[in-house]
Amino acid sequence: MARPRLLSEYFRTNGRLLGSVMLGLVAFWIIVLILLPQLSMLDYSFRYNLPPAEQGGPKDVYTLANYRHLIYGAGGGEGTYNTVDLMVFVRTIIAAMAVTVADLILCYPLAYYLGQSRGSGFVRLLVVLLIIPYWINEILRAFALRIVFADGGILNAAMMGLGLIDQPIDFIRADVALYAGLGYAYILLMLFPMYNAIESLDRNQIEAARDMGASWIRIHRRIVIPHAKPGITSGMTMVFMLSAGALAAPQILGGPSSLWFTQLVYQWFNDSLNWQQGAAYAIVLLVASITIVLTFMKIFKVNMGDIGK
Amino acid sequence: MRSNILLSRIALGLYLVIFFTYLLGPLVIMSMTAFNSNPFPTITPWDCFSFEWFQVLANDERILRAILNSVIIGLGTVVLSVAMGLAASLILTQIWPRWRSTYYTIIIAPILIPGVVLGISTVVFWDRLSRILGPATDALFHNGIFLTILGQSTFIASYTMLVFVARLQRYDPGLTEAALDLGATHVQAFRKILLPFMRPAIASAAVLAFLASFENYNTTTFTFGRYPTLTIELAQKVRYGINPSISALAFIIVSLTVFGALANEAWRRGRIKAEAERKGEAVAQGRSILPGFLRGNWAAGALVLFSFVVITLFWTARAYSPEQCKAEVRAAKQAEAAKRREELLRRRAQQRLQQQMKGPDIFVPSGKPAPAGGAAAGKPATGNAPFGGVFDPGNLEGQSGTGEKPDEGSNAAPPAKPSPFGGVFDPGNLANQAGAGGDGESGEAPPGKADDNGGAKPTSPFGGVFDPGNLKGVGGGAGEGN
Repeated sequence: MARPRLLSEYFRTNGRLLGSVMLGLVAFWIIVLILLPQLSMLDYSFRYNLPPAEQGGPKDVYTLANYRHLIYGAGGGEGTYNTVDLMVFVRTIIAAMAVTVADLILCYPLAYYLGQSRGSGFVRLLVVLLIIPYWINEILRAFALRIVFADGGILNAAMMGLGLIDQPIDFIRADVALYAGLGYAYILLMLFPMYNAIESLDRNQIEAARDMGASWIRIHRRIVIPHAKPGITSGMTMVFMLSAGALAAPQILGGPSSLWFTQLVYQWFNDSLNWQQGAAYAIVLLVASITIVLTFMKIFKVNMGDIGK
Repeated sequence: MRSNILLSRIALGLYLVIFFTYLLGPLVIMSMTAFNSNPFPTITPWDCFSFEWFQVLANDERILRAILNSVIIGLGTVVLSVAMGLAASLILTQIWPRWRSTYYTIIIAPILIPGVVLGISTVVFWDRLSRILGPATDALFHNGIFLTILGQSTFIASYTMLVFVARLQRYDPGLTEAALDLGATHVQAFRKILLPFMRPAIASAAVLAFLASFENYNTTTFTFGRYPTLTIELAQKVRYGINPSISALAFIIVSLTVFGALANEAWRRGRIKAEAERKGEAVAQGRSILPGFLRGNWAAGALVLFSFVVITLFWTARAYSPEQCKAEVRAAKQAEAAKRREELLRRRAQQRLQQQMKGPDIFVPSGKPAPAGGAAAGKPATGNAPFGGVFDPGNLEGQSGTGEKPDEGSNAAPPAKPSPFGGVFDPGNLANQAGAGGDGESGEAPPGKADDNGGAKPTSPFGGVFDPGNLKGVGGGAGEGN
């Protein structure tokens, strides 16, 4: 009987009162806040949206209708597909990947520069400058980009002033603002894990490689990137999950004719009050993004434990 | 070789400039719009230096109440997530190695779960629970503050847990054991040994949790119920009609953040220096006019400078009366409008001349696209609506419509063309733009007005205003003239 012995051992090291408080808190977190809500959402997604009177009645049975709606639309089958919602889904996933890769490319040089030049006041200044936007509200950051990208905004005004264009470009309708905003919102979550990883790389390794005649690209490919892999994965996972699940930036910066998948979830939930349908869409989003992350982790051979380090 | 190094230096500098412009530029511009008297948050055109948006903000009851809600929810989240995070990190150090990685995956997972999913699952679960437990629990389980605290704590506890794990790695469990051997109870050992050791981590975890809660949107937007937080209120304002009072709030938040970051850095550097001095490593410092805490501490200097600039800015803005400047801007705008009207009249006259030559057939284009086109075309011309009608509530309804009723047309809307009509004449687009057109400043002159302005012939009550070539002028002129 390993279990009781383990528990008694646990209570011996922590004391009865303290041990129960700690165990209670963690159990509350894991069971009541994490597991049960997810399970009840999963359960919800397999049910019909019934008026309160019929809930628990004979009609309250499990169904795949909510998932079918995503694929086939309201008609349900017969060769017609719910192209609108499916397109939104595919676009969300692909755009989130593109944003992730763009952030990676944008951040890598800075992470390398900050990580390898240690100690100077200038670098500390840069880090402080990086931390400032990190703590500004997500809504306000989206709002700031909206001001920049607006019809009469500074970007259009500057480009017209320079004579590059003679009519303002509608960045918001063209979704330029959305992609810039998503990249902007989570760029620091890419930078900081990478910076931490590269900072721990011994400078001598790079010096040695350079002395032996390795080219600049080779040093990065063979030394820096393998060393920074946990940081890179961690950053990419965060950025991908957060941009796929972003709601504020698409709501504020998205063009009137393009939607983000979370906006569909939001509409089912808050506008149509069809929680079951919303739950099904949310599950699809959750499962799809986790699957993608796990697949990429498998391809690049990184563990879950590296995330958040 | 030398020029090579120089080149890479220039490239690095350029890259740094671009990166930080992308990162900080929008925030700077947003902060500046708070001081522009233009009713739209923009710095082009710059009208007048003004303090009025701060007064609008101070009188905004909804924002003030939302700040209160945010603080209450933030404090609740701090208490709950710090407690759960600390307990979870302590158990992580003791758990069986075989279970360790499963356990770690579970408690780190909430960071990766989309906030939308967390919010929905929290609402669904507590709704279900209240139905099971009966109506007595209804009020609590549907309470926005209660749900928001729980929803946010679910993932914020993972953040705090990471902070604690980092600190615990340097803790020597032998200390607790020694205390226990010497006769302390477990609670005493925890309070007197472990807690003091963890205090810095608890402080930073609490700050982290509060800020994360304060700025959370995705989860809160499903759970807030009747208690909107500041972020929710801001999002509503940004989505449905805006004025620079949001910029004023943004300016305050940006300033506070800069202040906090600089203060933290100054304090850190001060501590490092004090430590170095204690070790006797301090170099002999030359005489300086700067007070001691500023010497060799750029952060403290920047802090003082920044505070000075902000205070001066506020003071000037309060003291400065923009009324005269505003009157001037108004006059300039009126003059411009008059000029436009004149231009319009001239073009109308020309048009009439052409029509007279062509004959009475003036209804050449169909009248259908005109109402949408008129308003939309009016916008670029006035320069007064920097967001090109996207902020019109009518437009957003059109957007939400796409989700509920799959609307092929609006989905297929083409990307913006740099045409004066912003693509509004595309048939697929009409459904969306109609709302904007209806709400916009009436760019379309009513028939009677066209008659007054253009002196159209009695046979044609519309005086040729439906001619697409004419629309830009009509929109601009009428929009300004009204």
